[in-house]
Amino acid sequence: MKVRVDGEICQGHTLCAMTAPNLFALSDEDGHAWAINEDVPAGQEELAREAARSCPEQAIVITE
Amino acid sequence: MSTDETTAVRADDAARTEGRRIVLDRHGPEYRTEFVDWAKRLHAGPRIAWNDTHGGYWFVNGNQELFDVARRSDVLSNDADIRNERRGYDGINIPASSKETRGGVIGGFLEMDPPVQRYYRNALNAYLSPAAVARWQPVLDEITRAAIDEKIESGRIDFVEDLANIVPAVLTMALLGLPLEDWVIYNEPSHASVYTPIHSPDHPRVMELAMQMGMSLFGRIQEAKTDPKPGLLSAVLNADLGDHQQDDMEAVGVIMLLIGGGFDTTTALTAHSLEWLGEHPDQRERLVREWDTLRDSATEEFLRFYTPAQGDGRTVSADVEIDGVQFKEGDRLWLSWAMANRDEQVFPDPHEIKLDRTGNRHASFGLGIHRCIGSNVARAGFKTMVKAVLDRMPDFVCDPAGTVHYETTQVINGMRYLPATFTPGKRLGPGLEETIAKIQRVVDEQRLAEPVTVRKERATLG
Repeated sequence: MKVRVDGEICQGHTLCAMTAPNLFALSDEDGHAWAINEDVPAGQEELAREAARSCPEQAIVITE
Repeated sequence: MSTDETTAVRADDAARTEGRRIVLDRHGPEYRTEFVDWAKRLHAGPRIAWNDTHGGYWFVNGNQELFDVARRSDVLSNDADIRNERRGYDGINIPASSKETRGGVIGGFLEMDPPVQRYYRNALNAYLSPAAVARWQPVLDEITRAAIDEKIESGRIDFVEDLANIVPAVLTMALLGLPLEDWVIYNEPSHASVYTPIHSPDHPRVMELAMQMGMSLFGRIQEAKTDPKPGLLSAVLNADLGDHQQDDMEAVGVIMLLIGGGFDTTTALTAHSLEWLGEHPDQRERLVREWDTLRDSATEEFLRFYTPAQGDGRTVSADVEIDGVQFKEGDRLWLSWAMANRDEQVFPDPHEIKLDRTGNRHASFGLGIHRCIGSNVARAGFKTMVKAVLDRMPDFVCDPAGTVHYETTQVINGMRYLPATFTPGKRLGPGLEETIAKIQRVVDEQRLAEPVTVRKERATLG
């Protein structure tokens, strides 16, 4: 599974990093998120999906 | 289906709510004045309580529990189904206003579920992202400068009426693509409809003002259809909503949501923060001294502590167990951002303001797919106003005798008046009317209200 954050759409809500702190990191400046690793580590797939579901901007793109 | 009927037919309610029952009138003035006592009591007991007022509803008050529940858009609905076309749900207010009295208007996409809710947010994203909002900073600075200039020579200001009401309102007009001078039409009803209780003798007048605001907006929507201008209004009218058909009343509801979200919340945050800074001159001096390092943490801390939008209602849309609670389809529940923000399990000394608090995971913008779409606008407006006050009237003293808080926190934890005195200073430029006219020309000429995907440059004020 691959995951990325669309930086144009992300508004810095920071919910992804609250949901899956091992998968997403945040800019100190405005909370913009990025995926720490493009490849989701085994066993963390459901957390990645959960983060994508709860993103208010639907900015998280998952490729299975 | 009313909430009363819902609770009446459930024989197993007693078992589900056993050990979780509270009686808390969220709409009463005591909830505001005794808020800290309530927080301590609630957090010592079940963190998802059953509140036996207003038809009965779940009251989510713990921080972790709120995080667990609020993100479950798969089992929570915001739908205000006023024509009973789906399951008849009642939107985000508890108690729900009757479907008939809503006059065909719902609270925009905050009272919708996906996918239409998502379509609207997608359409507005490029107007409200951090990069989009940063383009407006020169405009924010200029409106703030003018509002303060109106009062700077007199040594007296009402921080609500003369500053915190004005700046967010004028900026919201600009973002929408509406005439900036219209801010006065929307200003009083936007605040008064929040703070005026239904039983107040002033209520009919406030409703009349709200009606005028709706009529004005309705007219602007018709104009925008034939003569579109850049901004959120056009974005709403032209949003790609899939198969969903938008009517004018739906558009009115969406714009009213953006106005309500843009006006009263930032006003409430700014006023409360200035009141606290006036009461804590040592902390105020520290914030002046260390503005660059404390600006962001102080902003988040004021957001946490005052929680302008206190909570949101939902309807449970499927039977589910979360954190040991058996929720049933049709249950109402209240997500108390305010209570979650005072949870000592997450925030040490939760009832103290610490300007340098770190890791401040407050819930003041909400959590989940409905989280505030204007958070970046709110932060920018707040920081601009507070910085200008600290720069230009650093010795202000608020007058407690003239200070008026909203009687209740049923919707917004707001303030009506916050008069203050300070050492008079010099004007820096023209007054508000002239400034608003100038900004209007800049907005039009530079097409500032275009989405950031179309216009990337910051505003240039000559």
